[in-house]
Amino acid sequence: MRRAHAFLIAWAAVVTLPLLWAVVSSLKTDREILTSPWSLPATPRFDNWSRAWNQADIGRYFGNSAVVVGCALLLTMLLGATTAYALARYPFRGNRILYFGFVAGMLFPVFLALVPLFFVVKQLGLLGTYPGLILVYTAYALPFTIFFLHAFFRTLPTALAEAAFLDGCSHWGVFFRVMLPLARPGLVTVAIFNFLGLWNQYLLPLVLNPDPDRYVLAQGLAALSVSQGYRSDWSGLFAGLTIAMLPVLAAYVIFQRQIRSGLTAGAVR
Amino acid sequence: MNPSSQFRPYPTRRAVLGAAVAGAALPVLGGCVTGGDDGATEAAAGAKTAENPLGVPDKTPLEVVIFKGGYGDEYAINAESLYKQRYPGATVDHKGMQKVGKALQPRFVADTPPDVVDNTGAGRLDLATLVSAGKLTDLADLLDAPSLDDPARKVRDTLLPGVVEDGTFDGKAQVLNFTYTVWGLWYSKPLFDKHGWTFPTTWDAMLALCEQIKKAGVAPWTYQGKYPEYLNDPLLAMAAKAGGADLVKAVDNLEPNAWKQQPLVDAATAIAELAGKGYILSGSEALSHTEAQAAWSQSQVAIIPCGSWLEAEQKGVTPDGFDMVMAPAPALSGGDKLPQTALQASSSESFIVPAKGKNPRGGLEFLRILFSTTAAKRFAELNSTMPSVAGALEGLTLSSGLGSVKTAVDAAGANTFTYRFRTWYAPLAKAVDDATGELATKRITPAQWSDRVQKAADAVAADSAVKKFQR
Amino acid sequence: MANDRHGRYRFLAGAILPALALYAVFVLSPYAQAFYLSLTDWTGVSGQVQFVGLDNFTRLVRDPLFLAALRNNGLMLVVVPVVTIALGLLLAALVTFGGRRGSAIRGASSYQTAYFFPQLLSLPIIALLWQFVYHPNDGLLNGFLRAVGLDALARTWLGDPHLALWAVMAVLVWSSVGFYMVLFAASMSAIPTEIIEAAVLDGAGKLATLWRIVLPLLRDSVQVAFVYLGVLALDAFAVVQVMTAGPGGPDNATEVIGLGLYRNAFTYSRFGYAAAMGVALFFLTLTLAVLALRAGRRERVELA
Repeated sequence: MRRAHAFLIAWAAVVTLPLLWAVVSSLKTDREILTSPWSLPATPRFDNWSRAWNQADIGRYFGNSAVVVGCALLLTMLLGATTAYALARYPFRGNRILYFGFVAGMLFPVFLALVPLFFVVKQLGLLGTYPGLILVYTAYALPFTIFFLHAFFRTLPTALAEAAFLDGCSHWGVFFRVMLPLARPGLVTVAIFNFLGLWNQYLLPLVLNPDPDRYVLAQGLAALSVSQGYRSDWSGLFAGLTIAMLPVLAAYVIFQRQIRSGLTAGAVR
Repeated sequence: MNPSSQFRPYPTRRAVLGAAVAGAALPVLGGCVTGGDDGATEAAAGAKTAENPLGVPDKTPLEVVIFKGGYGDEYAINAESLYKQRYPGATVDHKGMQKVGKALQPRFVADTPPDVVDNTGAGRLDLATLVSAGKLTDLADLLDAPSLDDPARKVRDTLLPGVVEDGTFDGKAQVLNFTYTVWGLWYSKPLFDKHGWTFPTTWDAMLALCEQIKKAGVAPWTYQGKYPEYLNDPLLAMAAKAGGADLVKAVDNLEPNAWKQQPLVDAATAIAELAGKGYILSGSEALSHTEAQAAWSQSQVAIIPCGSWLEAEQKGVTPDGFDMVMAPAPALSGGDKLPQTALQASSSESFIVPAKGKNPRGGLEFLRILFSTTAAKRFAELNSTMPSVAGALEGLTLSSGLGSVKTAVDAAGANTFTYRFRTWYAPLAKAVDDATGELATKRITPAQWSDRVQKAADAVAADSAVKKFQR
Repeated sequence: MANDRHGRYRFLAGAILPALALYAVFVLSPYAQAFYLSLTDWTGVSGQVQFVGLDNFTRLVRDPLFLAALRNNGLMLVVVPVVTIALGLLLAALVTFGGRRGSAIRGASSYQTAYFFPQLLSLPIIALLWQFVYHPNDGLLNGFLRAVGLDALARTWLGDPHLALWAVMAVLVWSSVGFYMVLFAASMSAIPTEIIEAAVLDGAGKLATLWRIVLPLLRDSVQVAFVYLGVLALDAFAVVQVMTAGPGGPDNATEVIGLGLYRNAFTYSRFGYAAAMGVALFFLTLTLAVLALRAGRRERVELA
């Protein structure tokens, strides 16, 4: 057992040390990072964070990510839930083809679509715009969302829906007032997954979002490390890394129960 | 080494991320090639006088669009006020913006462009497309007009070497670049003084100095290993000096066995010697530009190759009293065709005068004013960057790095050169970078280096899908 | 509900069509166009498309960069899933059965929380972090090795063609182990403890128990993990692009298909050729998925 703990702790160290190191480095001066990469900062420099936020545009990238991911998430959940529900609960001709058509999207590598997608978005005049990214994010998040919620809606009891129909509820009424509240746990899980997936998108914004003013967080940080604007700013880069990591880690600690149960429900299925 | 200069002031020679932008810029004007009609509206013109050699109409407004990037746009506003002093009847409409292409592309298609444009930055218009669609004014009138400072000298003669050539397309000057970038080897003057080192002018002296530096416990060289193209600068510069303009031409024109010319093999051998004798900081091959430059500015390393933007890039991490200076690469041998002071140089920050603007004469005149010493000096003061106008830095108090760049440019005189294969044939550039990276880590020999690169050049030459250029 | 038919179709249309439209425009049509573009020499200038048949593909098999990418992706395809799954299984087993008599170990939940962290970060950010970890002189890894007296093991991880790809793979494994560990642990905790206890009482060694008893019960999870990790190994774009020299170096030691595709499309403007690379990657992915799903003899997993 002691050996088990030793091994588990060793891996925990492998996982957390680089993250901790980044956080500590984000509080040091450039000189401290370069000359003594190991020590703690003489005084913690929280101004690195504010500098990264304001001057290195991390704040702007953060805002861009929030707008794009927020809108895309809402749209994905709305469209995904209605489609999954309709496909799960309404038998009609072509239902299965539609379902497999959507779900097949999970199997295709995004790289296959990359070049034509660039021109589709460009021709629609959506290159480097919020709506462009939001629509593309949504389109690529739909297959997983529909796959997951389809299974979820199938497990929901039919009795309540039938009662609601008898009460004179419309199809939309049943969906919004009865089924959606019932599906809440599934919706939360899939929303969390979509949030993580969309927040961490890199390839799509890299290609479709060439305007530095609209860079999303991961893209902006990568650009910062490659070109670093005009000046070397190490502490700022670490601060940016930390700013990018912390909200996601915090959200995880808060939601970890749902994430883990959703993970098992979703992947083992 | 043009790609970098075109992307500045985002110095992305590490242009991977910018590449998406470049791709995006390419097809932008595709539609307008067929869109223009030749029923040109008659552009306004005034009488040509000694005071007004370009015949600028006094009452016609002037619209100026400036890329507002790392250099801001204050320098342009300054030039515009000079314009208004000369033509009090004209109003000047100034627009500073980041995305030049996005704003102007529809206006070029509709043939209602502004009168003068600073076509720079990630979102710029593709010059080749503008040129082939005939959307630009021939700048010959401007270049042959008397300069503002000295009517006895033409504008053409006030520009630094290579600037006119950089803006010449299809034999016509259509673009005028405002900033000037040179490449060389950088070191800290106080560090060298402290140890009594002098920067060498020949390769033999360089090797001797490296031995001394190594003995003092400092690594002699490092380079931005993650992007081996930085190390190409000294290699290709030494080869160009030894082989002269003909060597550069042969390389750019993809002539058979161009990369096997003796000076290139010798220059590769020189770099291999650095590596072989342990004069390169260990681990350099894995350092990014920031990491390598940081090690250098911590005086762990004596010498690093880079372009003239280095001082600005290192501003935040340069210790006080570091006083960096740039020197041209040493001469390979006594028999070099170019003097040792010759420099690899190129210009950027591209100004154009659209052909279909309302006031193209005014656009030309604006450039005559901007490229005067007064306006260029103002730019240099504001941005610590060298303009492409000769003598613009004269009389200014310069930082150590910029001062050394000026000295180097003055010493080079007309002896500048630039390789074009990087912009013309990106896959060849990649092959050269890869090979140089291998050379610097002793994994290939100089002979293998030239074999490999020659093979890549032959492949490009034989590939009918690649558009070919000649110089 | 016969009189409701009209409303029913209106509802179905309203529920499905918006998603379908979005999906068709941004997902299906690009996929379809990719196949067409891969047969052209398009450079992005409108009106200048020529049909070149299979030229791009014959070029592909002669392109040394693409072949290097194939080799690298192939190696990753073998190493990344195997190592990740092995580590994930081991960690999951230790957490789930590492306690007294095959019960969960103390602090199991905290371990899982910590292990999951990397899964939350996007790959470019992870790559950025590891670039500093691998820094040859001041990095965490070499610093650690030197601190414990293993100076001889310190390397220029990303600068050595023999090590760079392994360094990339290590990052991919590091970033995904936590996710699969949590996944496996969940499946393992569903195994009745009696089975484990019985095996331990029989004197079966711990690894043997894991191999012979637990693993077969986790077949589905492992299979899914293989597919997902295989897809990850065929990609690896973000890590390579941000972290490696060149990127894709040194000397193409870490070149991957995605990087070549990106470079050809958005640096060289060879869109037709890049599309051909995408098509090649698609068939690789498809083969992988089919093989992985075939390998499980039991009923096929319901599409992923």
